[in-house]
Amino acid sequence: MAPQPNGTAEAPIEVSAIPTVVGINFGNSYASIAEGSADCIANEDGERQIACAVSFHGEEVYIGNQAKHQLVKNAHNTITGFRNLLGKKFSEIPSDKLLVSAPVIEHPEQPDVPAYKVQVLQAAPTPLLKTATNTPAASNAATPRSEPTPAERIFTVSEVTTIFLKSLIQSAEDFLGKKVQGAVISIPAWFEDTQRAALEKAAEDAGVKVLQLLEEAGAVAVATASSPGLNQDRTQLVVDLGSSALELSLLSIRQGLAFSLATLSDPTVGGDAIDGKLIKHFAKEFTKKTKTPLTVSPATEAQDKRAEAKLRLAVEHTKRTLSASPGAATCSVESLKDGLDFTGTITRLRFDMEVRTVYDTVYARVKELAERANVDLYDIDEIVYVGGSASLPGLDETLSQGFQESVVTPFTAGTVFGGGVGDPTAILARGCAVQANLVAMLAEGTEEEREVKSAFASGSKWTQAKATSKTVGMLFPEENAEGLLGGQWVPAVLKDTPVPCRRTSRFDVDLGEGGGEKRVGFEVWEVKEGVKIENVKPPKDEDNVPPEEGEEEEEEEEIEVKEKTLEKDALLTSLVFAAKEAKKNGGRWTTAIDVQFVVDDQGGLEISAWEIGPSGRGEKTTVNVPAL
Amino acid sequence: MANVIKLPVVPLPLPAAWNPPTSSGKSISPLVERRLLPAGPAYLAYVKRTVHNLTFEEHDKHTEDERKR
Ligand SMILES: Nc1ncnc2c1ncn2[C@@H]1O[C@H](COP(=O)(O)OP(=O)(O)OP(=O)(O)O)[C@@H](O)[C@H]1O
Ligand SMILES: [Mg+2]
Repeated sequence: MAPQPNGTAEAPIEVSAIPTVVGINFGNSYASIAEGSADCIANEDGERQIACAVSFHGEEVYIGNQAKHQLVKNAHNTITGFRNLLGKKFSEIPSDKLLVSAPVIEHPEQPDVPAYKVQVLQAAPTPLLKTATNTPAASNAATPRSEPTPAERIFTVSEVTTIFLKSLIQSAEDFLGKKVQGAVISIPAWFEDTQRAALEKAAEDAGVKVLQLLEEAGAVAVATASSPGLNQDRTQLVVDLGSSALELSLLSIRQGLAFSLATLSDPTVGGDAIDGKLIKHFAKEFTKKTKTPLTVSPATEAQDKRAEAKLRLAVEHTKRTLSASPGAATCSVESLKDGLDFTGTITRLRFDMEVRTVYDTVYARVKELAERANVDLYDIDEIVYVGGSASLPGLDETLSQGFQESVVTPFTAGTVFGGGVGDPTAILARGCAVQANLVAMLAEGTEEEREVKSAFASGSKWTQAKATSKTVGMLFPEENAEGLLGGQWVPAVLKDTPVPCRRTSRFDVDLGEGGGEKRVGFEVWEVKEGVKIENVKPPKDEDNVPPEEGEEEEEEEEIEVKEKTLEKDALLTSLVFAAKEAKKNGGRWTTAIDVQFVVDDQGGLEISAWEIGPSGRGEKTTVNVPAL
Repeated sequence: MANVIKLPVVPLPLPAAWNPPTSSGKSISPLVERRLLPAGPAYLAYVKRTVHNLTFEEHDKHTEDERKR
């Protein structure tokens, strides 16, 4: 059946036909928003990481980082942490949660709906904010007054989310000078249907057309798909260290097609845990300098609690300085306690020491994840960092010890800062923006086009795919070959490749020195890949200072040396053809060939080869491996 | 278009005594079920091929035609 012509083809081509769409990274603590070219947009305060906080102060409503600052003096009217409560019933929310902001209450009129109660000053007679819920406040006062009146307002989690998203979109529209027509919003992997539905509703209420709710791992895969200098078939480790948790995913990326091999999360590490250690350090320093006792993280006394809130805000800057430059960073708080100001400094070395356990926990979790997926750390080609706390170089230094030297990270690539492809604070919004452009351009003229579009909706059946379980490739036998394989191994279809798939490679083949008939041939094998681990004694260090008298010579610790291994597993078939286009170069004959492997959805494999001549591909030789 | 990957390998001449082994009749190892991340142009292409029931060649042609328009 001939494919239907694209429904938009008849329409006249206009530039304005490209809709204005954005990508939104909606974290529990911070959000960011990116536009068409995938760059993050700064809000009117110049911030690209916008705190997910809404604060009511008299007649004012603060949103973003300004709202976060209200946590010191106006915590009870400041709402944070609402993303993670979306779609949840009041009774599902653990009551022991550390609450530094406006407490979560059960909505007085809507049973089991979580909400926040805040104090506002209501300007009479117009209500402060229009929301779906109207509390029996002074808003209905008949006579206008010149003085605003104190009032109590109730906002559901959804309403707060709507207020927040509206302001995000407003910032984007102010920046772009255009109306935003749609958005892709990132969601954590553990978001369930009710949470997805709640977010979608809150966004629609904010006037945002949701093009797709995209799992964070999907946003990462899109954002990193075209990283230059990396294999298109690779295993990628995503380390997301945000505020409240660590989220790990191991992804198989196959020419841009991605799926998760394993995921793991740990809520004990993250930016909040790092802050906890850092503020303890500074509190101690404060006490040492001023002889004023200060106990934080946790704090029990009201004064200490306020000091802790101030410190938590202040170390935000300290951490950013530390990750951006190798020098020391300061932390300054005016009137930290008893009217005493505080300024402390910390070096990166000291900082890394303080948060060592956080780094070590991440490393331990990474090893656990790899084990779960039955993958060795040496099989991982790339580490992608996501989340603000993953900007810290100490984390990368800790992790990279366990990986092969060639592992690519944004630190090795030099792309961690500046909002580009490797920036952990921008990557999710970037991925969502790229995805928004893709989804917004999908046609829906025909039945089939609508079907294709539906593949991006939650729970689409099209995400169900089959993938290969072993690597298949070519073995070019050679005389007196080194190693067990008996020749040159050229992998074609890696294990964990979704099918149907096609892999085409082009390379030269050495045909030797002699004249006469020449042939190109190879065997097709499935292989078993592994990693050999050997414990070896480190080489004796020549400059080693001899041990001092009486001191025992240190037992030399063995070091682990890893090496990738390959074993032939099953011969499938072979392919051979006569070379007609060989060229002599430096006394040797060589020719260029294309080899294509196609695996169909039943596991049938077709291998084709061509010799490349001056006018392109020559005769095609094909062999088949039966379907499963 | 078929994404042709240029490889830096140059296999050495075949041993004179090498004869292409006949097909073993074996298939590749069993396929496993996975859940794709619904994102990116590669996923779109995958879905298009499946929905329209296109081979890689047909899909190449389809894409080429669309590009020309
Ligand atoms: N440059 C930086 N260096 C170190 N830490 C940073 C940097 N930028 C942000 N952070 C920290 O990263 C954390 C926020 O990260 P992120 O925005 O990824 O969190 P989130 O996704 O909203 O939260 P979560 O995923 O935990 O729900 C905060 O603790 C913040 O202090
Ligand atoms: Mg996050």
